[in-house]
Amino acid sequence: MNRFISLLAGTDLSQAIQNYEWIIPTIQSIHILAVSIVLSSVAMVVLRLMGKAGLRTSIADTVKRYVPWIWGAIVVLAITGTLLVIGEPKRELTNAAFQLKMVMVLVGVAIIAAFQISVGRHPEFWNKTPEHRAGLKLIAVGTLVLFIAIAVAGRWIAYMIVDYAAA
Amino acid sequence: MSIDAILEAIYNWPISAAIRTDYFWFPFLESVHVVCICLVVGSIFVVDLRLLGITSNKKPVTELAKEVLPWTWGTFVIAVIAGTLMFMSKTTNYYADDFFRYKMVLIVLAGVNMAVFHLFTYRSVEKWDRDVPTLLGAKLAGGFSLLCWIGVVFCGRWIGFTVI
Repeated sequence: MNRFISLLAGTDLSQAIQNYEWIIPTIQSIHILAVSIVLSSVAMVVLRLMGKAGLRTSIADTVKRYVPWIWGAIVVLAITGTLLVIGEPKRELTNAAFQLKMVMVLVGVAIIAAFQISVGRHPEFWNKTPEHRAGLKLIAVGTLVLFIAIAVAGRWIAYMIVDYAAA
Repeated sequence: MSIDAILEAIYNWPISAAIRTDYFWFPFLESVHVVCICLVVGSIFVVDLRLLGITSNKKPVTELAKEVLPWTWGTFVIAVIAGTLMFMSKTTNYYADDFFRYKMVLIVLAGVNMAVFHLFTYRSVEKWDRDVPTLLGAKLAGGFSLLCWIGVVFCGRWIGFTVI
């Protein structure tokens, strides 16, 4: 791991990102804008499922409006996130908040993919499964909480930096 | 009382000192602030993109605004409270920071843009509510709003690097 980190930190791209002080805040700002698209889109879909917003629109149409933006934003997040790791590999890879965030991202992406496949196969699945409704609502709210936790974990990377030099 | 004296007084309040020195409160407030800003900005984008004609016009503008904007306002209030508490912890540093000033100006501009849009363009919304392209005035308001809020996020992130 340490060898990988020094290898990554020594690449030209990493050096370039480290050498200009405006690059990291710029990438972070784009990253946050993409987070805002994901969080808001997940929130709107979850609110629709919970019956708290957009009831005049079907679940299938709500998914069609918001979910493509979630995937687009996730691509932007993956690119900007990768650049941030390349720029500061030690700050990120050795960081407990970062590691927890990556695990939560994998779970979150899997849930969105599974949900989109379910809606695609059975547009009425939500209405046809009233017996599972309580459980599904719990998953929906849990997903929103999970995505908020991902954003918070991202913010906490700055507070969980392991300083090997000081240790 | 000068503005500097007021800022200094707020800086010395026990609550400001607590936020400044405690290892938990500042990161906690920052987390609340960033999550709420994301929800504010993202939900405004939903409306802006509809006004710009980028997202489907099958859904009426009025309906979309009604279901999205209450959440925008709710999260905006929380973001302002968390932001104010963060400001209180280092009043003079924030006040002197260029990016903090740009951010405040951009929020005011976004507010003025919204007010102008509601007073003029939005009055004829029944005519362009759904299935037809939005008015030029609506596109301009949506585009300007989008740029203001992108600027708010950039300035907010920069404050984290310039205010120590």
